[in-house]
Amino acid sequence: MVSATKQVPEPADGHPAPAQDSAAPALAPESAPPSSSAAQTALFRARIWGRRARIVNARVVRLVLTGATRLLPAVRYLLRALHRRWRRSLQFRTVLTTLMLAVGSFAVVGAYLSNQIADNLFQERLTQAESETRYNVKQVQDTFDGAQVTDQSSVITLVYDTLNAVEGRGSVIQRRYVFEAMPEQTKPRNRWVESRASDQLTISVIPTDLRKAVQDSGKDQFWASTQFPVGTEDRPGIAVGNKVTFNGTVYELYLIYDLNTAQKTLDEIQNVLLAGAAVLALMIGAIAWYVTRNVVSPVSHAAVVSEKLAAGQLQERMVVKGEDEVARLGASFNHMAASLQEQITQLATLSQMQQRFVSDVSHELRTPLTTVRMAAEVLYDARDEFDPINKRSAELLYHQVERFQSLLADLLEISRFDAGVAMLDAEPTDIVQLIGHVMEGVAPVAAEYGSDVTLNVPAGSIIVEMDDRRIDRILRNLVLNALEHGEGRPVNISVAANDTAVAVAVRDHGIGMTSAEAARVFDRFWRADPARARTTGGSGLGLSIATEDTKLHNGWLQAWGKKGSGSNFCLTLPLRQGETITRSPLQLEPADVGLGGGAGKQMMLLLDRDVAVPGPAAAGPNATAGLDRTEEQP
Amino acid sequence: MKARILVVDDDEALAEMIGIVLRNDGFDPVFCADGGQALEIFRSSKPDLVLLDLMLPGIDGIEVCRLIRSESDVPIVMLTAKADTSDVVRGLESGADDYVPKPFKPAELVARVRARLRPGDQKAPETLRIADVTIDVAGHVVSRDSQRISLTPLEFDLLVALARKPWQVFTRELLLEQVWGYRHAADTRLVNVHVQRLRSKIERDPEAPEVVLTVRGVGYKAGS
Repeated sequence: MVSATKQVPEPADGHPAPAQDSAAPALAPESAPPSSSAAQTALFRARIWGRRARIVNARVVRLVLTGATRLLPAVRYLLRALHRRWRRSLQFRTVLTTLMLAVGSFAVVGAYLSNQIADNLFQERLTQAESETRYNVKQVQDTFDGAQVTDQSSVITLVYDTLNAVEGRGSVIQRRYVFEAMPEQTKPRNRWVESRASDQLTISVIPTDLRKAVQDSGKDQFWASTQFPVGTEDRPGIAVGNKVTFNGTVYELYLIYDLNTAQKTLDEIQNVLLAGAAVLALMIGAIAWYVTRNVVSPVSHAAVVSEKLAAGQLQERMVVKGEDEVARLGASFNHMAASLQEQITQLATLSQMQQRFVSDVSHELRTPLTTVRMAAEVLYDARDEFDPINKRSAELLYHQVERFQSLLADLLEISRFDAGVAMLDAEPTDIVQLIGHVMEGVAPVAAEYGSDVTLNVPAGSIIVEMDDRRIDRILRNLVLNALEHGEGRPVNISVAANDTAVAVAVRDHGIGMTSAEAARVFDRFWRADPARARTTGGSGLGLSIATEDTKLHNGWLQAWGKKGSGSNFCLTLPLRQGETITRSPLQLEPADVGLGGGAGKQMMLLLDRDVAVPGPAAAGPNATAGLDRTEEQP
Repeated sequence: MKARILVVDDDEALAEMIGIVLRNDGFDPVFCADGGQALEIFRSSKPDLVLLDLMLPGIDGIEVCRLIRSESDVPIVMLTAKADTSDVVRGLESGADDYVPKPFKPAELVARVRARLRPGDQKAPETLRIADVTIDVAGHVVSRDSQRISLTPLEFDLLVALARKPWQVFTRELLLEQVWGYRHAADTRLVNVHVQRLRSKIERDPEAPEVVLTVRGVGYKAGS
């Protein structure tokens, strides 16, 4: 009763492959004995075919390889695009994750369902098969028992008729049978009937485990899953076996039930499940897409709006609809934007007021100062007619008014930079000519200090897009500084240009400064030595203004110094406004330092773009941190 | 004969001081403290030169400048407290020939005044041509197709300087020296503004000049 073996139906694939030989045409079977010429022809053909096969093989390999190389970048690109999408789009990520989870859970549920259904179908069929078998075996046994064994043909007819009746009535075969005599019987056997089976069936379709179980038992019934051929296909089935005795001979009788209809039903159910899962997955994907779009689109809208705000479009606001969380986000975002706008407008107003104030102070201070200055000068011009006390007073008045005036001018200039109202008035100008003017202008001062001012320049003219008034001011300031600290030694001005930038270096060989001092030299009102007498009366703002002027040009102003070796100031400007400087055509640290140099005439090495030292200057102005201070505008 | 100079400035102390300096150098100063009366006094005193403060009560200095320029070619030198580009350029565009930024030195002021008063030297009978424009140097007349073009003395000097050496490219600094009388480089915006004013008067199309050409990065030259 109880099944001894149970095998789940499996598709047949263990059939011997008969078509294998045609693929190996190397030696034809007929090329064995007869004549040597026939053998040679066969060999020749075989060789040709072999070669052709190799050629075809090579071509196929090449085709596959080229296909792979062509397709690989496309596949890689697709993967990269997907990856980028995955990283950048929350919506894409959510939809994809939802889809994958849905498909996963469908797979689990579907597998369970189809398994359960298959099990039920099988069990039902098995129960039916077992009861039918029991009935049929009994019928057969009863018929055999009541049979009259007379002659061979009547026995054969009887057995066949009985067994055929088992197949069922009508055109549809309800069950198939295999009837086999038990081997190794000692009793006298009925040799007339050895074995018999339905169409196409042999004893080999019965699993050996089942046969063994049937053979070893008494009169018990056993079953097993099997496969049997019907027409050209193999069908799954259940084989139920028992023993029958005919005329003293024991036979094994197996009835085989077709599971094809059950299998078909199962297949259909699985197809329906699969289709349903696919449709559901698509719907879930669509729902996920819709829902996330609803949530994500306000967020990306907010991102767009905040980018616009950041770009200065302060009136930009989010669209607010409804009262949900998204609407609250929009409302608070708009609130933030409004207060931001208010603050910025306020700041702009303040800056305007500041600007206005500076302008007014400028006017109000300058007018009386002009009067004072003119009066002082009139007195100064007439000082020779005064007594010594009045004369000295007139001189002091005159010089201090001068100093006051330059201090005021510098202060106003700095405050104009601070208010952000300084404008660049750039146009193409020859910087070499401008340097010439500066040198002319400082000639009297140079003569006073006893210093020579020399110029190294590679070309007759270098056209630079610049505000000549500001560049003139910077260079004049640098040269005057160099003269002031040059202790009467020569001051060298060097000019060099590359494709994008021009550099002017002003080098003195005076007292010099430490690198710490060089780093502070552009600070406002900073002096290297506070105790140093303020003989030359600079305002202390000159280099700060030069820094601001350089910034306006998107240039660099760098300082280098060494105690006892003098100092070097290097101004680098882009040739065209709007371009950025990648490296200065001149090295900041002079090449003459450490060569035992004191004051020398030709100490400054000129570096043009071909010979430019790829040292710290090339690596960027910050590479010499500590030695210089970089002024650059992003 | 003493040159008469109209000083338009609302600051009395400065006006008086300027008066002292000018008188000291042999000029005859006339004063006006209110922009509203400036034109009236200008008409009655017929000065040889006007020193004009840009910030005035009543009418703005720039407006005064425009009014004076509309009826006279007399040289106008502005006194500016603001060295900002916009103010200076606005003043020059309204017709001023030159400007002196406050605070100035007396010598500087006098030099600027003298430069503007300098009589046209060597005005020998001479006729120059640039493009289709004819310049009668002695007669101070510029004409195109026998149609007279009215220029201020400064614009005339600028045009003559360019026309005398049509082969030469003039840098702004050179023009400042020759036309304005600056010995050292000063504000080249003076040249830019006046070249623009000159072009607007003598060019057929100021956007595509034929008489005064720009040489990029260098300066200006006369057209051929």
